[in-house]
Amino acid sequence: MSRSQETLSLKRKRPEPNALALTPENALLNLIKSKGDMGIWKADMKRETNLSEPVVTKALKALQGRNLIKEVVNIQNKGRKHYMAAEFEPSKELTGGAWYTEGNLDKDFIDILKKSCSKIIGKFKVATAQGVYDFCKDNKIISVDITTQQILEILRSMVLDNEIVEVKSTGLGEFHKIPVGTVCYRTASGMGLGQGPKVGAMASIPCGACPRINQCTPDGIISPKTCKYYQKWLDFGI
Amino acid sequence: MASQYGIKLAVYLVSSYFGDLVAKVCECLLRRGTLPWRSIVQFTELNPTQVKNSLLVLIQHNCVQAFAMEQEGVFGEAPKVVTQYMALFDNIIHHMRFPKFLAIVSEELGKECEEILEGLLQHGNCTAQDALQKNFSRLLCARYVERCPAHEPFIAPPNEEGAAVKKRGAKSAKVTEELQTIEQRALAAAAPMEALRFLFETYTETDDHELESEENLRSMAVGQKRKHVDSEAGTNKRKKEVLWRANFEEFVRRLRHKACIENARTRLDDGAAIVLSAILEASRSSETKVKVESSIPLSMNTIFEEVMKSEDGRIMTLEHVRTALAQLAAICIDETYSVDLKSIIELAQNEEVESIVLKRYGREAYRMFRLLSKAGHLLETDKISDTTFVEKKETAKILFKLWKDDYLHMEKIVASAGRQSQFLLWKVNKHSLWGHVLDEMYHAALNLRIRNAHEQEQEKEILQIPREKLVGDLEKRSKRLRKVRIVLESSLMRLDEAIMIFHDF
Repeated sequence: MSRSQETLSLKRKRPEPNALALTPENALLNLIKSKGDMGIWKADMKRETNLSEPVVTKALKALQGRNLIKEVVNIQNKGRKHYMAAEFEPSKELTGGAWYTEGNLDKDFIDILKKSCSKIIGKFKVATAQGVYDFCKDNKIISVDITTQQILEILRSMVLDNEIVEVKSTGLGEFHKIPVGTVCYRTASGMGLGQGPKVGAMASIPCGACPRINQCTPDGIISPKTCKYYQKWLDFGI
Repeated sequence: MASQYGIKLAVYLVSSYFGDLVAKVCECLLRRGTLPWRSIVQFTELNPTQVKNSLLVLIQHNCVQAFAMEQEGVFGEAPKVVTQYMALFDNIIHHMRFPKFLAIVSEELGKECEEILEGLLQHGNCTAQDALQKNFSRLLCARYVERCPAHEPFIAPPNEEGAAVKKRGAKSAKVTEELQTIEQRALAAAAPMEALRFLFETYTETDDHELESEENLRSMAVGQKRKHVDSEAGTNKRKKEVLWRANFEEFVRRLRHKACIENARTRLDDGAAIVLSAILEASRSSETKVKVESSIPLSMNTIFEEVMKSEDGRIMTLEHVRTALAQLAAICIDETYSVDLKSIIELAQNEEVESIVLKRYGREAYRMFRLLSKAGHLLETDKISDTTFVEKKETAKILFKLWKDDYLHMEKIVASAGRQSQFLLWKVNKHSLWGHVLDEMYHAALNLRIRNAHEQEQEKEILQIPREKLVGDLEKRSKRLRKVRIVLESSLMRLDEAIMIFHDF
């Protein structure tokens, strides 16, 4: 141990590229490999190896040039340079999960999936997540690889958007193909649900959306008598 | 205690119905709580007669309830009985719902009953002789009118509660245990016994009464002067006479039923609405309070029988009714079905708040709010971001915005291990948020009324011009004014429905 440290300090002054001993490159590579699919931040490498900034930078460049490591985006902190051994795939914590590509939320992909799910449920009236997934697979609606879990996540977010409703199968009527008690998703038969959010009484008048309602008083500077939102609302262009 | 803007709205209503003097007395009571006459004079700085008359008007219109209470004498004096006055906030707000109440009666019982109720609402209370008896008893049968409460029940001071309870008998003793404030006790003591509340005796008429009812009719014609009859001339003769008033509780219950049925119609379908309506109709006479949590359990036969009574229900089969009950998530115990009304009301409340969030903060905030509102417990920022498909940074921003405006509750957790040492957890605190939203709705209702009054005031001259002279520009202005009025009033009607969902149901 003491020997290696000696060589290390010697090497720092006069580094030999072909040395087999623990060069900064090797030390860094070992460290990076030990972190597996989590990777490691540059500043943490510096701290853990006690190497100086230029040495680390140079070594990382060299390792990257030899395709031993790669730079990955960390969703938690996109500004930080994160490195990982080439043989690993970034973990879910780093990438943000299946919905992220290169650190960005893949909104287009999500929208396409949502639209497809909505069409499928519209066709079936009632369907389970597995049912939607099977239909996607069988009809090759989506070319990319997806999982049932992903479909489930999409469906749940659509429930939050009030586009579809989550119900438990009763085994009766339209549920006859689905075992009793299974969670399924449906478009609504009623007038209100499943057609996006309903506009409430409060939200349909200017006060409902007013950011200044706290400062509004009957005879104050902001008042219903002089309110510009009301003015706009009650201007029928007559 | 009513919220800030609830009080402002109530005072505005009283002022527009009964004038500023009465409103001043009313505001004093709403803000400071129950007070004796002397203190009201002191606080309002009005002269004693003005206060007295204002109180009489308020009592006549069921906006104030008086009760007597024994107070300990100061400086060793003997204890004395002092009359206290308390404002009835809910009843004041009900004044803006009178058109709704009248519409219910007109629809269910016809024009004549509507006219009687209109008189009753205008004059606060009256004797049955004042009204045409036949139709009056129909109103009574539907429980839309009730006996007036006692004018001034005696309430023992809190420390003598034990003795007082004994006096009022075993039945009311049970009630008193649940009640907390003096005001609530007074209301309970003033209310007529349940057996008497809707009891109408036709054979108690005497000459005396007839004479008096004539007097009443005359004074009713001149409107508010009637209060003098009430207080001075009437006291001796009136002892046996029964006064009647509109039963707001029943109206609120009907409106609650209607709200539940409409909610079922939009959320589920017509079938569910018909079945729910039948259930509520069948159990109507057995409901005792407004805020029942679930409908009274009914057998399938009873429900089906009631469904058949309505025109739309006649086409429904038993199977159809069964599906509708399943949709309504009716709980079935021993072959009887009961629908959870409280959860329907809660759903309606959620929808209202969610739509405000959507309007103010956008679609992504709406998704997050719904997630947290459904979860009902704390969730971490990243988890919220994953479920709602919003970028993590954006998620944090939106959550902070909602938190700043009191729509969310936030908790910080600092972990000692690991790199990310601080986690933020979020949740919807329904109790406090609902209060906040209700107050904003009162505020909005007040604004709608003020704006309407303002618009009418602005175009006063147009309202005075006869219709045939309204041409060109004047005609345009008159058209606009009419439209403004329709928009503002219909918005207020809808908003009031939402207020009732939060406050009365």
